[in-house]
Amino acid sequence: MTRQYEAVYVFNSTLEDAAINDKLGRFHGLLGNPADLQVNHWGRRQLAYPIGRAESGYYVVARFGAETAALPEYERAIKLDDGIIRHLITLYEHELGAPPMSEEELAMAARRREADEDEDEE
Amino acid sequence: MRRPQKTCPFCETRVHFIDYKDDRTLGRFITDHGKILPSRLSGVCARHQRQLSTAIKRARYLAIIPYIRGLQA
Repeated sequence: MTRQYEAVYVFNSTLEDAAINDKLGRFHGLLGNPADLQVNHWGRRQLAYPIGRAESGYYVVARFGAETAALPEYERAIKLDDGIIRHLITLYEHELGAPPMSEEELAMAARRREADEDEDEE
Repeated sequence: MRRPQKTCPFCETRVHFIDYKDDRTLGRFITDHGKILPSRLSGVCARHQRQLSTAIKRARYLAIIPYIRGLQA
């Protein structure tokens, strides 16, 4: 059965970019290089708290559709990798669209509410 | 005396799923010490409060937001 997943990797920030891409290629190879793979590099950012000796990490977010049977092997490879500080694999549940709340959206929501109220009055 | 009902900020903006990677949004629903803000203070509805609590816990694990803050000596 194929499901949509989202994986977040936190790599050790001392790794070279080439090494990170190499590891990503290896992990996604274990999933059979999914066609709908989307990789989003956040880059190096400060960790909210130190993990071991690491103060910063290289964040990568990947979305893909994969067979459920392929996942244990993929996750095992991630766990065994020393270059990864943290990882999280979740079911991707954004298909209905969940835009992050920005100022414009709040303004839009307020406008929509006003429009709704106007309709009610009629 | 009854206070006027607060409306859920997620329902207002038609958010269906709360994103655990969005630290700016999650940051509005944690206290100065990093605890999850109770829905009675934030006005978040039960459905979104459940999602929010999962999202905050995921974000904490990934070191996007801290577990505790402001308690260092």
